[in-house]
Amino acid sequence: MELYNLKYVIDALAYSLYAFLVGGLLLGLHRKIVARIQGRPGPPILQYILHTLKFYFKEISFPITAGNPLYFLIALISITVWMSALYLGVVFNTSLLILMGLYVLQKIVEHGCGLSSGSPYGKLGGVRSVFSAAAEVPLFTVIGIIYLLTKSLIIEDIIRYQEIHGPIIFQLPFAAFAFFVLLLSKAPNSPFAIVKDKSIVSGYLTEHFGILESLIMIADGIAWFVLLWIFLAVFIGPLVVSDPLMTLLGMVVLTSLISLICALTPLLTPNHSVMIQILISALALLDLLLRIVMG
Amino acid sequence: MFLNITSVAGKFYGYIPFGDIVLYVTEFSAISFVIALFFTLVVYFTKPEKQLESQIGGFDRLNYVSLEELKIRRLMAILCGICTAFAMLTGDLFNYALFLAVIGIANIGIVSAVKKEWVLNAAYYYGIIAMISTLPLFGGAALILAKTGTLSILELAGKHQDLLFQKMLYAAGMVGETGVAPFYAAKAEMFRAPGAPYILMIHLSSLLIVIRTAEILLTI
Repeated sequence: MELYNLKYVIDALAYSLYAFLVGGLLLGLHRKIVARIQGRPGPPILQYILHTLKFYFKEISFPITAGNPLYFLIALISITVWMSALYLGVVFNTSLLILMGLYVLQKIVEHGCGLSSGSPYGKLGGVRSVFSAAAEVPLFTVIGIIYLLTKSLIIEDIIRYQEIHGPIIFQLPFAAFAFFVLLLSKAPNSPFAIVKDKSIVSGYLTEHFGILESLIMIADGIAWFVLLWIFLAVFIGPLVVSDPLMTLLGMVVLTSLISLICALTPLLTPNHSVMIQILISALALLDLLLRIVMG
Repeated sequence: MFLNITSVAGKFYGYIPFGDIVLYVTEFSAISFVIALFFTLVVYFTKPEKQLESQIGGFDRLNYVSLEELKIRRLMAILCGICTAFAMLTGDLFNYALFLAVIGIANIGIVSAVKKEWVLNAAYYYGIIAMISTLPLFGGAALILAKTGTLSILELAGKHQDLLFQKMLYAAGMVGETGVAPFYAAKAEMFRAPGAPYILMIHLSSLLIVIRTAEILLTI
């Protein structure tokens, strides 16, 4: 029995490592594609993983302005959040609502990172993270629209629904678009990436360095894997997620598409970023209301 | 009866009769409850950060949160955390609306001890929106009671009634009460106040409440 328990723990850790490696490589690929489109050679695709390893072994000290233990706990919370999302969503196919709950905790991580450091740049990144919470509003509307169609928010049920009725992306194109914008807003160098704008140094991450930054980078790698998987599972379904190789291919295609958009669009100002996200929210809400009224 | 609940919030683990207040536990509510309590503990143990303010023609200055200010803000943040945690478990629409109202008051309390004009102004505007929002929030709950004869989420999950207008009112109340988009503009300045762990609780409570409201509205 104990051996079985140990096996579960090893399996879980191995899967987290796999998710981080895939997510990290995809984020590396993202940087490479953006660079090539902009006429630069760009860093190697492995760069994200190499950076993570480098920061992991760097010396760390706590700034005198930091509010502890929140300052270092927030990095651990970040990794816990995305590992939980990985197991609950990808492994156990639980409710989409729980995953969205874990996703919004990412906002708390960004906000907490920025606030707890005491740095004005971190603070600004944190405050911008609060502003960009407008990106989450379409998320809840998307959840409502999916529920109206499938009568369930359990990912397993949604995948089963698509086995019979085909990919949801063709039935709910606007919901898929709204979710795609959410993915886009999470990508580095995206037009909505106002929390990491270079005009505020590194935003909420400014004062988190060494092992803390490394932990946050591991969490970001897993987050990218989980978010792409959710999009594929919820909108394309068993066609892609039933085969690991097809899932990987789907993730590469999605990342490339996002990279293309990121390379060709400038970073929006915070006001414009929020305005566009609110516009998408309003349209998604209208879509939901129309579907309710039309039955 | 629980079909709606399990298809929205995951496995149903049971309910806790607590006088006339019934709490119920699902996968979603259990996780949210633990998260809210965990952050409440973090708030209790965390010392406020010291914001660095640059000065023109002089050395940078550290902004401290005084002990007196810390005590009242920490109390309010803990109250906010406890209310958020139990709002995740409650199975009654009226209790949920009450928890929401208390969270709104606690949020204002968290920043009201900060002696900065712009923070107090933001708290004042948010307070006005929160007060106005109590009308659709409690009005929505009252209309649901009038139409269905119950405020229990467990009971409402089994009924198939058209509650679109009531749900819209309830949602509008929640949006104003928690100060999410498009009302968060009133709250934004509050987040710039010093005192990281306490301010974080304002944000956490809003986000958890938004998801819980989505769960309730899809369930009933």
